[in-house]
Amino acid sequence: MATFLTKKHLSRRTFLRGSGVALGLPLLDAMIPAGTALAQTAAAPKLRAGFFYLPHGAIQNNTSFGKEVDVWTSSGKGANFTLGKTVSPLEPFKNYVTTFENVENNTAMGSVHTLNPATWLSCVRPDTSAKGASLATTLDQVIAQKLGQETALPSLELASETTVQIAAGNGGFYAVTTCYSAPNKPLPMEYNPRKVFIQLVGDYASAAERDEMLRKNGSILDLINDRAKSLGATLSPGDKRSLSDYLDTVRELERRVKLASASDMSKFDVPDAPIGQLEDFDAQLKIMFDLLALSYQADLTRVGTFVMAAEGTDRNYPQFGDTDGFHPTSHHANQPARIAALSKIQHYHVERFADFVKKLADTKEPAGSILDQSLFLFGSNMGNSNAHDNYPIPEVLVGGANGKHKGGKNLTLPERTPLANIHLTILDKLGIPQASFGNSTGVISEI
Amino acid sequence: MRKNGAFMGYARKLAGAGVPLVWLALSAPAALAQAPGTSADAVKRFTALTDTYCVKCHNTEDWAGGVAMDTMDLAHTGQDPAIWEEAVSKLRGRLMPPAGNKQPSQADVDAFVGFLETSLDTSPKNSQIGHVPLQRLNRTEFQASLQQLLGVDIDTKAALPTEVEVEGFSNIASALGVSPAFLEQYMAVTRKAVKMAIGEPVPKLANVTIPVTPADPTDFPLGTRGAAGGRGAGMSFTYIFPADGEYHFNVPEEDFVDMGLYPRGAEHPATMVILIDGQEVVRKQIGGKEYLDIADRDGPAGKKVILQKIASSVPVTAGKHHVVITYIERARSFSNDPTGGGRMYQPILQSSIDVEGPYSPTGRSMNDSRAKIFVCMPKTAAEQRPCAEKIAEHMATRAFRRPVTEADMKPFMAFYESGAKEEGGFESGVTEMVVAILSSPDFLYRDIPAPTSSGSRLLTDIELATRLSFFMWNTGPDQTLIDLAEQKKLSDPKVIHEQIDRMLKDPRANTLVENFALAWLNLDELDQVEPEQFSAAMRKNYETEIRMFLASVLLEDRSVTDLLTADWTFVNDSLAQQYGIQGVKGSTFRRITLENQNRFGLLGKGAFLLRTSYGSRTSPVLRGAWVLDRIMGTPPHPPPPNVNTDIGVKDGEAPTTVRARLELHRTNPTCKACHGLIDPPGLALENFDNQGRWREVDVAANRAPIDATTELTSGLKINGPVDLRNYLLSHKDQFPTTVTKRLMMYALNREVEYFDMPQVRKIVKDAAASNYRFSDLINGVVNSDAFRRQGPEETHDKVASTSSNSAPAALHP
Repeated sequence: MATFLTKKHLSRRTFLRGSGVALGLPLLDAMIPAGTALAQTAAAPKLRAGFFYLPHGAIQNNTSFGKEVDVWTSSGKGANFTLGKTVSPLEPFKNYVTTFENVENNTAMGSVHTLNPATWLSCVRPDTSAKGASLATTLDQVIAQKLGQETALPSLELASETTVQIAAGNGGFYAVTTCYSAPNKPLPMEYNPRKVFIQLVGDYASAAERDEMLRKNGSILDLINDRAKSLGATLSPGDKRSLSDYLDTVRELERRVKLASASDMSKFDVPDAPIGQLEDFDAQLKIMFDLLALSYQADLTRVGTFVMAAEGTDRNYPQFGDTDGFHPTSHHANQPARIAALSKIQHYHVERFADFVKKLADTKEPAGSILDQSLFLFGSNMGNSNAHDNYPIPEVLVGGANGKHKGGKNLTLPERTPLANIHLTILDKLGIPQASFGNSTGVISEI
Repeated sequence: MRKNGAFMGYARKLAGAGVPLVWLALSAPAALAQAPGTSADAVKRFTALTDTYCVKCHNTEDWAGGVAMDTMDLAHTGQDPAIWEEAVSKLRGRLMPPAGNKQPSQADVDAFVGFLETSLDTSPKNSQIGHVPLQRLNRTEFQASLQQLLGVDIDTKAALPTEVEVEGFSNIASALGVSPAFLEQYMAVTRKAVKMAIGEPVPKLANVTIPVTPADPTDFPLGTRGAAGGRGAGMSFTYIFPADGEYHFNVPEEDFVDMGLYPRGAEHPATMVILIDGQEVVRKQIGGKEYLDIADRDGPAGKKVILQKIASSVPVTAGKHHVVITYIERARSFSNDPTGGGRMYQPILQSSIDVEGPYSPTGRSMNDSRAKIFVCMPKTAAEQRPCAEKIAEHMATRAFRRPVTEADMKPFMAFYESGAKEEGGFESGVTEMVVAILSSPDFLYRDIPAPTSSGSRLLTDIELATRLSFFMWNTGPDQTLIDLAEQKKLSDPKVIHEQIDRMLKDPRANTLVENFALAWLNLDELDQVEPEQFSAAMRKNYETEIRMFLASVLLEDRSVTDLLTADWTFVNDSLAQQYGIQGVKGSTFRRITLENQNRFGLLGKGAFLLRTSYGSRTSPVLRGAWVLDRIMGTPPHPPPPNVNTDIGVKDGEAPTTVRARLELHRTNPTCKACHGLIDPPGLALENFDNQGRWREVDVAANRAPIDATTELTSGLKINGPVDLRNYLLSHKDQFPTTVTKRLMMYALNREVEYFDMPQVRKIVKDAAASNYRFSDLINGVVNSDAFRRQGPEETHDKVASTSSNSAPAALHP
């Protein structure tokens, strides 16, 4: 089948780069195979969750200019409130929005950048002396384990760019991801939209090919299962554990293969297959949001996490007066020009998030819009980027959660309220109540 | 060692209350035998040293860094090897005492380090053997193995998820997990790779678009536009053709004929030449008056005709081929078409080319890849199954890196049978079978079984061959190594030496540049820094230069110190200009001798200078930290929390040099404790701007002159890169020790622990005779106990033993 590359997807940073170095996969057709439709009971609501991470905190009342330049914090209390300028793109959805004051996450304290991403959704301080990764299952994965079992993908972990950045320790277990599916299993954050696309839609030229592939993959997975069991018999205890992780993964994939054969994408607005990570950052952000929205719409997943900018990133935003790079500029040293640039960058990211929220608000399902049935957290794990502190950190909750989250208010929480309390409350709203989460001290009843 | 060099808290339980136990030790009776190599005088001298310079902070009240030296016995450093190894590392880098505090003389430091290292090397407690757990192939190893087994090159960086890196290395066993995304993508890649290698038994007509990417001018024949370099002068790519047949090379519409009807690219005649694997297969005239006439006369239909005339049809055999499309005579057509913005110059091939085919496929010829798989070809139906069994055994033996039995093969034969029912018959069967073999965990995982009882076990010959091969080539052992292993010859050090020499000369050893050296030096990704007026082409130049340079030292088996002192490098014309070197013409890279000493070695390389800068300015802090970490092997601490780390120029102030803005690091004692150590190496390199160009003045600071003088913690004053380099080499074994430590981590697939250090030191000492040739370091690592033996699975934690708990009774009052 013919393939087309529209100019907007053509990027120099494709995987066909370099003469004779390596050849990537042949480009695929954008046609989506049809399958049998997923059976749905007519009005059954489907809860979705999503987590949207921005590094380097926000300009709040945390500069030497005080409240004057605080563009994040909402003014007013309770239902009588105005969104801060940075958060104002969410104005059309104000009824779905709760903003907070006085949130803290001290599990990242003192780590500068290296522990921020991983502690945002775990609220547990990792054991950095351990041999491998040693944290806790993150909030999104706790939710995925309960809500994600009916969909082909229990969850999606996305990023807009590589999360390996020098300023964040150049790799390591806790700076490169916000998602852990188990205390020792960090999940990779995918920043190549092409790979996300293939995960969602598959890499097939026709429905017949897809079915054949699914059948063959099923057989391969059976083989892997058998071989792994027989190999495992001769291993030492620690190695047995590693292999059993592998077997869990195989089982998970088998489950997805079964579900994948039942999905029907024909009625959705699927974008063209992206060729790879896009050079234009704005386009890259948009395509990742589009793919996440698509996966909610097509019910390919109900849980998503998106790292909108990498911790410690040097990417610059010249259109907002930042030529030094997001991370260097975040060390604003209380200079008005830098504070202004930072505020604009933060506003921009909320804008992109708001476009995504709009898409979901406009998608109507029998039980309501997707936004009605969702609960999203947008925020950062840092407060004042100039001092690398973790209090107060900016967080916003958006969505209806099937009526469980009544937004439209600004909550002035008690000082140093743990972020984990918000997480615990999210779990509660999604019907997964727990005694505690991370270093939580209780549920926030006002949410 | 720990990632960021942070000191771990070592729990120390004390009996007694602050009595200087050390003195008791000296006056204790002879029953307390002293560790070998420690004379009473030496212990006395160095105890006095620690009392003067260390105990003020490292004592049982303050517990700085979790260490108290007032209660530790220098006659028995072997009781606390983890702590003393850390001390050795800090002393060698002059990290301790912190900058700004009273400093011992270099002679004293050297003597103390020598004392400590001797006693650590001879301590019986320090002979532990580490354990490396079950390990899966990482992306690069998987890619190299597919290349070895199938002759196919897949870009796994694009196709598989990013791996967690430990200190820059992505081959550390404990960090290599699997996730569903990984497994799914891995299975897809495996299938595609096998299909590419075997070819399509029932080839489908496909149209693939290959984008134009910057190509090396040497790809093109002389006399063609491509060889002159420059944009749009042609393209060069490698493609795997799925079957023998006819393929059409079509130029896309946007390139050649614009959205309007004016065939811009065809206005002037040119000769298009297509070469496959260096052989010319097409030479045709395109463009010119005839084309213009067609466009004028026939409009949209004419466009189609033109595109058809330009397209070429070529018979190609299945497999990997190198395709070059280039032009002779005029490649650039002049166009005065105003709708194009009045552009005068229009390259013919701008964006991409379509490869469509195979038409009239005639099967699949034998090629490199097919030859690796099809060790036999059945001539009759009866021969098919036995041949398939042979193929399975051959592939599985190489893929699983061990001999296979008939029972092992049964499940894979089931895949053959099922695949053979498809249209492609025998070849479809073989395809399914090979996919199954390469999807098996026997391929994806490698394991060195732990000892069954306590202590360690010696690796078998085949385990050693595998470990050696993954170390040097990132893939499983080849036939030569397998044969030697079967003949049990690998335990002979002479044989090992020969094999290492052979493997180093093999092109597969390039992984030592790509995955070891570039990762160790953190120079593998240069994309993140974007200075103004810095082109992607110059970035590519830096990437090429650093790789060629590293290869010239490591793969040509020179002394590793050449990495710092080499007076040669590799440049093309634009890179030479960047470095201020005259007389280099042409865009091909060539080796030159540097005349300016400031440029010698790694510290003068654009890749390093760029990587350790910001887009807007240099960063002496990043450069200094890099030197301390990657060259000295003594990384500094990360910054403490809540510190204001910006040094941007304040509004309204006159711009100052970066050095001036960093002055606070020197005047504030809290900052100075670390920055007095970190900044100096970076300050000595201030003459290199944030792109690596040499400068005498700082243009951003009103042309203030660059001051590259600085003072190290030891009090030594240096000025500029040459002095810095001399300092780094002043202790001849320091840099080779760093290289060896990193090499060992890469080879062992685990972090280097304190109990490995005596072996590291031995390797370095032994290599001094050859002035630290790279192959001697490799030999040392491969012959070390750490590499040759597997220790028990870890149940101990990294906390050092509490020696005061196990102190002999005589010490207690």
